[in-house]
Amino acid sequence: MPIIEVKNILKQYKIMEKNDGLLGYFKNLIKPQYKKITAVNNINFEIEEGELVGYIGENGAGKSTTIKMLTGLLTPTSGKIVVNGLVPNEKRIQNNKNIGAVFGQKTQLWWDLPVIESFRLIKKMFKIPENEYRKNLKKFTEILDLEELLDKQVKNLSLGQKMRCEIAATFLHNPKIVYLDEPTIGLDVFVKENIRKFIKEINKEKKTTVILTTHDLKDIEDVCDRIILLDKGQIIYDGDKQKFKDIYGKYILAELIVSSKNLDIANNINSNNFEIIEENENKLKIKFKHDETTIVKIMNDISKYCVIEDIHMKESELEDILKEIYKGAYRDDKNNDSTSKDAI
Amino acid sequence: MIKTMIALAKMQFKQYNIYKSNFYLFTLNRIVEVIVYIFVWQAIYYQTGDAGGFTIAEMTTYYILVITFSSFALWGINEDIAHSIRNGQINRELLNPISYFKYYFGVNLGELTFAAVIGLATFIICSFFWQLVLPTNLINFILCIFIMLLGVPITFFIQMIVGTVGFYTSSIWGMQILRKAIIQIFSGIIAPITLFPLWFQELSKWLPFKELIYTPVSIWLGNTQMNEIFFVIIKQIVWGIILYFIARIFFNHAVKNITINGG
Ligand SMILES: Nc1ncnc2c1ncn2[C@@H]1O[C@H](COP(=O)(O)OP(=O)(O)OP(=O)(O)O)[C@@H](O)[C@H]1O
Ligand SMILES: [Mg+2]
Repeated sequence: MPIIEVKNILKQYKIMEKNDGLLGYFKNLIKPQYKKITAVNNINFEIEEGELVGYIGENGAGKSTTIKMLTGLLTPTSGKIVVNGLVPNEKRIQNNKNIGAVFGQKTQLWWDLPVIESFRLIKKMFKIPENEYRKNLKKFTEILDLEELLDKQVKNLSLGQKMRCEIAATFLHNPKIVYLDEPTIGLDVFVKENIRKFIKEINKEKKTTVILTTHDLKDIEDVCDRIILLDKGQIIYDGDKQKFKDIYGKYILAELIVSSKNLDIANNINSNNFEIIEENENKLKIKFKHDETTIVKIMNDISKYCVIEDIHMKESELEDILKEIYKGAYRDDKNNDSTSKDAI
Repeated sequence: MIKTMIALAKMQFKQYNIYKSNFYLFTLNRIVEVIVYIFVWQAIYYQTGDAGGFTIAEMTTYYILVITFSSFALWGINEDIAHSIRNGQINRELLNPISYFKYYFGVNLGELTFAAVIGLATFIICSFFWQLVLPTNLINFILCIFIMLLGVPITFFIQMIVGTVGFYTSSIWGMQILRKAIIQIFSGIIAPITLFPLWFQELSKWLPFKELIYTPVSIWLGNTQMNEIFFVIIKQIVWGIILYFIARIFFNHAVKNITINGG
């Protein structure tokens, strides 16, 4: 049985429409007018225990809204969510016992007190048995390198130090499910790596289910097995990470350094095998599919218009793929095989 | 559950205690208040030969006790709650495995413990400088403390209500002032209730504020009858229950709003 079930979830926010001026002010007072924003539009997914899911999408796609509904902080407008056998917004406190959550910059640590005090409070609140607490604390301290931090006041910690402590606090009570909403925002690469390593290790050891939203796709590359891609409140891909790359990642990107270019190549060249996505005085960015053409052919075409000095090529990474998707490249053939919703 | 609340109270207490200067400043503040009140009443006494029906020693004791108890009646967590609602911290606190009410009740206990410590320090220091009237017997002393403790849930629920207003308006400043003013007037901080007009005394008899300070002090001084004490205890319990439900309904309404409209 899946640990998280999301069925036909719709979430609309009602926001007041502001009328301008004094008259508008009174209009608002007497009869406020509301506008509805659909943040999440009819999404469905199921997550099994122990899965590491990357929940990604552009700013405003509806990721945080979904996470808040899963934690019970938001009530869906319609549809059904069952987490671990409970409807989160109806049985919030009971549900809280099984979950952990990190929301970007918000902290559950007490600002003026040493970190360890907050940990002790969590131990009391969640009734964590003494030996379990000790064991976790030792392990977390090791992986996240907290030794020096535990006795410091939270307000004196740097962002990265705070986030490491926050992550530790979130996993302290052995939650079955952990929601991480942008846990790596604003952190340096080392701290990011540290946190990724931690998530993977805990998941391996305790089968903790983790749902992670992030804009750093390295997080996803490194941690997640499965991707759910959200676009304007709708899921446009749900399935295996590798498969995602295979389906969308058939493009190759090439960057050509050129000279003696005297006209706008993109407008003059006549080719449907490749696409010039960026062009300036001495640089061309090109995208093509390896089964349709080769770089040699392309270079041949282009060299008619300029001198090619140098070339760099790379296979598309998650980030490039997503850029393409966000730009709408795939929206047209959405009904074709490419966006097949991978069965779970 | 109790353990969690004690842990929370300890956290809040420590949070204050991090700044040791807090303690000295607050205590000093209280002592200055005591001095001001006592000087004013001494002046009145020497001018008119009367201090609202009290002897000057009783009046001195009255004010020292009032100030000793006052932080206990006035302090609390409504600012914290309003803050938590405004900056979205409430979303974190709603994810705790205990209810928001219990969580903040624990925090409030820590706050009140700190208030009690300051009160005690004020009392001890004042007792060096002024001759105090002591309770005539132990029962009176116990009843005095007991009635005061009955006020703890009452002030807490009022704080919850005032704090929750923060959800509907951007500032609870006005409500704060109002809450403080009501408690200061009706609890006898400004002046003993007996000095106010009769209608005011009648009103304060039914409200729960007199018992935060005036009644305990008056029990201490041995001026309260047993049957009155009995009435007062029942009254406080009834008010506690009423305020609990009001706070609860009001707060649940706010939370419902948050979970529908987003925090
Ligand atoms: N409380 C709210 N009231 C009104 N609209 C909201 C509220 N919260 C979010 N929205 C809107 O809902 C949409 C989805 O927001 P959400 O925060 O879920 O996006 P997100 O995917 O988390 O974005 P980001 O990557 O920027 O964090 C946005 O259009 C946003 O403006
Ligand atoms: Mg977000």
